[in-house]
Amino acid sequence: MFGRSTDWVLGIAAGALLALMIHYNSLLAEHTTPTFASWTAHGLGAVVALLLVLLTGARLSRRRRADQEGGERTPARLPRWVYLGGIPGAFTVILAAVTVNGSLSLSGTIAMMLVGQIVFGLVSDHFGLFSSPKRRIVPMDGLVALCVLAGSALIIFGGS
Amino acid sequence: MTVLLYVFLAFLNGAVIGTSRALNGRLSSAIGPFKASLWNHVVGFVFLTVALVVLGQWEWGASVPWAAYLGGFFGALFVAVNSYVFPRLGAMHAALLVISGQMIAAVLIDWQAGGESPTGLRCLGVAVVLLGIYLSQTRRGKEDRK
Repeated sequence: MFGRSTDWVLGIAAGALLALMIHYNSLLAEHTTPTFASWTAHGLGAVVALLLVLLTGARLSRRRRADQEGGERTPARLPRWVYLGGIPGAFTVILAAVTVNGSLSLSGTIAMMLVGQIVFGLVSDHFGLFSSPKRRIVPMDGLVALCVLAGSALIIFGGS
Repeated sequence: MTVLLYVFLAFLNGAVIGTSRALNGRLSSAIGPFKASLWNHVVGFVFLTVALVVLGQWEWGASVPWAAYLGGFFGALFVAVNSYVFPRLGAMHAALLVISGQMIAAVLIDWQAGGESPTGLRCLGVAVVLLGIYLSQTRRGKEDRK
């Protein structure tokens, strides 16, 4: 299916963007502090996101008017808490700084954060957390997770 | 014992990241990925402003290279793309694919920035991650045929 292959490629591309983001934010954190670097990055990111909204907004709303689709355009029914994703997103940086400065190394911190993300994904899919659709976890998912985690561990602890 | 506490905190941090992405993904399917990215950055900025006031960590670094400010640009793009695919792939598959892309890109970035070619262990790691992606694809193929 073409649509789903696109999602799959976009998922990997998102990971590459994340690696670039972390690379440059670490550079900024070296000259300041992790929290201050994240604050600066959020401020600049907000400006970039606003430009993206303005650039794409005109085009999208024109298309939407042409389609006359109602679909998911019911922000009134949207719970308020979905707007707060930025809080855990920003808190991550503070918590990571705590563990890196504690007795856990940067490598160890990154590795445990990856494990936490995958376990969270598994639990979230199983219980449908945050009103996300429930998804059945199959044995192959475990094998894929094992490969991704083992490969990541080799990359993280295998020296640069 | 304190090591175990930090291990647990780092593990918990992974769940914190997952929560952020789940909320942004949910928001994205309602108002679009770029607006979701904007909300994420504005709310995060306000939160970090409060955190910096409380922690007292204002440090305007001297002689910061201009490239260090590129993080915000890639962050805005990352949140938009990730929020778009998150509800479409599901939390677990989204996490696995993003981690794969992140790890492979990290090896390439270190290679480019450090000038040293990656170690054998790292190359093996990339191969194992790619094997994982391949396996997830075979499963997807089977699902599509049903």
